[in-house]
Amino acid sequence: MTGHLLTYIIFLPLLGALLVALLPQRLANSYRLINLVTLGITLVLTIVAVSIFDGSVVGPTNTEEALQLTEKAEWFSVNLGSLGRFSVDYFVATDGLSISLLLLAVIVLFIGAIASWKIKKKRKGYFALYLLLSSSVLGCFVALDFFLFYLFFEFMLLPMYFLIGIWGGPRKEYAAIKFFIYTLVGSILILVVMIGLYNSVYDPLKTAEEAGMIELFNQSGVEAISQAIETGQIKDSQVVKSFNMLYMANDANYLPGSFLSKESLAQVFGQSARWMAFLALLIGFAIKLPAFPFHTWLPDAHVEAPTPVSVVLAGILLKVGGYGMIRTAFSFFPDSAYHYSWLIGFFGVFSILYGALNALAQYDLKKLIAYSSVSHMGFVLLGLAAMTVEGVTGAIYQMFSHGLISAMLFLVAGVIYDRTHDRLIENYGGLAHQLPKYTVVVAIAFFASLGLPGFSGFIAELMVFIGAFKSASFIGAIPMWMPVVATLGLVLAAGYYLWTLQRMFFGKYWVKDTSWHEHLKDLTLREYLMFIPLAILIIWFGIFPGTLIDLINNSVESFTQLMVQSVK
Amino acid sequence: MLQSNSADALTDQLSQLTGDVWQLAPELSLVVSMLLLLGYDLLFKKHKEIGLAAIAFCGLFATGVVLSVQWTQFDSSQLLMNNLLRLDQLAIFLKLLFCLGGILGLVIATRKGKGPNLFHSGESLVILYGLLLGVFLMSMAVNLLMVYLAIELVSICSYLLTALLKGKQRSEAALKYLLFGAVASAVMLYGISWLYGFTGSLDLSNPAFFVALTDIPVLPLSMALIMTLGGFLFKLGAVPFHIWSPDVYQAAPTSVVAVFSTLPKLAALVLVFRVFTLLPPVFDWQLVLGVVAIASMTFGNFSALWQKDAKRMLAYSSIAHAGFLLLGIIANSSAGQLSLLFYGAIYLVMNFGAFLLIKQVEGATGSAAFESFKGLGSRMPYLGVLFVIVMIALTGLPPTAGFTAKLYVFSAIWEGWQLHEQPIFLWLFIFGLLNTALALFYYLKIPYYLFFKTSDQPVGLNHVQTFNKVWGTIVVLPLLLLFFRSEWLMNVLNNISFVL
Repeated sequence: MTGHLLTYIIFLPLLGALLVALLPQRLANSYRLINLVTLGITLVLTIVAVSIFDGSVVGPTNTEEALQLTEKAEWFSVNLGSLGRFSVDYFVATDGLSISLLLLAVIVLFIGAIASWKIKKKRKGYFALYLLLSSSVLGCFVALDFFLFYLFFEFMLLPMYFLIGIWGGPRKEYAAIKFFIYTLVGSILILVVMIGLYNSVYDPLKTAEEAGMIELFNQSGVEAISQAIETGQIKDSQVVKSFNMLYMANDANYLPGSFLSKESLAQVFGQSARWMAFLALLIGFAIKLPAFPFHTWLPDAHVEAPTPVSVVLAGILLKVGGYGMIRTAFSFFPDSAYHYSWLIGFFGVFSILYGALNALAQYDLKKLIAYSSVSHMGFVLLGLAAMTVEGVTGAIYQMFSHGLISAMLFLVAGVIYDRTHDRLIENYGGLAHQLPKYTVVVAIAFFASLGLPGFSGFIAELMVFIGAFKSASFIGAIPMWMPVVATLGLVLAAGYYLWTLQRMFFGKYWVKDTSWHEHLKDLTLREYLMFIPLAILIIWFGIFPGTLIDLINNSVESFTQLMVQSVK
Repeated sequence: MLQSNSADALTDQLSQLTGDVWQLAPELSLVVSMLLLLGYDLLFKKHKEIGLAAIAFCGLFATGVVLSVQWTQFDSSQLLMNNLLRLDQLAIFLKLLFCLGGILGLVIATRKGKGPNLFHSGESLVILYGLLLGVFLMSMAVNLLMVYLAIELVSICSYLLTALLKGKQRSEAALKYLLFGAVASAVMLYGISWLYGFTGSLDLSNPAFFVALTDIPVLPLSMALIMTLGGFLFKLGAVPFHIWSPDVYQAAPTSVVAVFSTLPKLAALVLVFRVFTLLPPVFDWQLVLGVVAIASMTFGNFSALWQKDAKRMLAYSSIAHAGFLLLGIIANSSAGQLSLLFYGAIYLVMNFGAFLLIKQVEGATGSAAFESFKGLGSRMPYLGVLFVIVMIALTGLPPTAGFTAKLYVFSAIWEGWQLHEQPIFLWLFIFGLLNTALALFYYLKIPYYLFFKTSDQPVGLNHVQTFNKVWGTIVVLPLLLLFFRSEWLMNVLNNISFVL
């Protein structure tokens, strides 16, 4: 059973999607139940996976030692003439870098399923697409073959496009196509690097098999095979190229003299090819994250998307960007990452401040939350740029924590929109009198997001800052002034949240349109079901950070170890 | 003595020709079907449709069977008809593709819709068969005269097919097509005459032809080759010989357009491949074709953005795809050839899928303008889903074989860049990828109108015939299967030896 656990987790939602698609229209009422139950089972399976996951396993993140719940089988292998043979594997596994995000994804998807309960329009399409989206998101976090990863990464766009474009707000078409085009440009940049990489990286085991040198491989490992290729003992046509992301992260697996190998002197537009490849991956994922200046699709997509889709978008899809950077850009080209760490840190800090200042200026509650997401994702960049254990742990922790908090924030915005179909902050005042329970939930979400101690956001930002301050003396990746300036982001966050709280919830009760009054009822049972688990999790991970850090710590340490090694 | 010698030679030659005839069995099968169609048309006066359709389908199936037998038994390369034609596996594979295309074209024609029915009389079917014969010959031609004849056969059949079925728009399109085609042919013929002047030969299968070209100064050589290329580009529908295609695509019956957009294109690619990859290095053909490819991709995509009619949009999209197809030739390696054939096969399936679905929309609403797609997605959900898959495949996104095809083509270009380090490869790579993003914009218009817009007409679930669903599935399914199992097609292609 546990042998194929990850496969079940990925493909169960897909089965659910098929079921929804095949059931006749007169059973339309059952779609939302299927959605909920499927994701519920997936949640249970994921919790099983997390409980099986052994955080004490140590091993470099570019070998299979550190992987758990591994499943590997050849998917296809093709002979492409002069390019030689290449093979694509169905390779899924999890380690400390991905397990937390897998858990987060399933939690948020499940909460999103509860939030989707009230969807009325074209239910069949909605729930089939939602489950399809779930499947590809989950696959993305556990795929370790670049082709497979790219499939899941790219396939996310299509359901999302329809979910925004059909069930969205007034400017849904614009937002949907903008989202699609932006992210597609990002994935094309990733595709370029993927083509370059698989032509530079080979699979030593399969190459040895092909050349009949399997004994040599067993005895003396990758180096012997690499030497045999260099001396011509293994012919070019016998080399099996690979999409394996672990191989791509290991210099030993690069073909001698290939374009992207570490010794390569190749240049693109007068720059080192490895640097350019790193930049392409970085920008590709920075669009998804999103970081300034590639963030402009986000406010549009968020404002127009229906509440559950916003929750999934902010809660998980943005994290794919951060995870992609860790798993690909930083792992494959650690030397280039170090070279560009200043730039990454700078855009991190800039995103923090720029997002916060924009949030301060918003009239629309949902837009405010969207810009606060830009600001908070800046911390992920800052933590990664620091290249220290604390910084990277902080980045992952921030992704996890922001996933929960932003889900809650968008649900908060959804509650008020459901009742009055208006989200403008200036149209409300003193809601605390009318909706006291809602106000408590909003306060929890706002305080968690602005980084109050006791909530998960605080731990994440604290670790990012520790890591960033340490970086200058430890590895010298980013200068000291960056974290110093970034602290301003915290002040601004407190500013826009508290100001919003004051304008909307405190003071004398007032709403712009008196007819809204009768609709403004306090939280329903369904809404409690969404908010309470989220709030508990946010507080739990704020008080007991060890729960998560124990899972990810070893992997992060070996990850940063690889960085440090490559710099020396 | 002398007399008997020449008589011997003549009988030798004759017996050789009759021997060659058996290698041309697929072409013979086409000709026989043509005659049968004509005869049936003459003999029967009423209710001809079923009989004509039966003959047309059976003829193509028979040709397909003959080709499959040939495919399994023939694994070398043989010159036929006094070095006018060459039969090799590449040609057989392409002819199989053409045969498949012909069958799919007929399937599209059987769907009821606005406009004339292809099966009303025998003549349009005979002309369609003539077009098929033309592309069959194009895929085998190794003599420039044969090349010209084959291209003209295809062209004349195409003009007739566009003009045959009445309508003002049609005659305008056909006239444009004819005028443009005549100019392109004249230019090509002039180029060929220069080449003949340089070498004293028209025989591409003879290495001496290319050796002789090495001595020619660059300027006249380039002019001759570029003029010859003009005729090929006209059939390929690539910039700058593309202007006819949008009008023709919009005016001609959908089934015919589907054939136009695929078969002559692929046949023209083989000609470009056979003529240009052997040229002496003095003439930088990769640069010339590279510029054409970039121009086609970019121009095709930018023009497609503004279209309001699905068929017109697909015309520009096919111009853009012509550019992508050229990439495989420019790479000039075995990886390039394999990716070219892979892309070509997938392109054929994608395009027939798109036109089959458009025909169904035409049948339901009477028009292929985007306006008439409004809200169809909720009335015909299955059709809508198929449409989305085809459009995603045309854009080149996973999980469709369109993505795999683009991945292979770009890999080949990447390899070419690594080997030759010519900047044109890098530019092709960059423009190709940018164009993929651009293409998304207009391909998504169809799903956009299908699902995002609501119809002005009264809502009701349209009854989609099972037949339509089945054929839609048959055409769309390979696009998904060949993504997950691209080695199925690739292993077949790996068996082809590219003899030049």
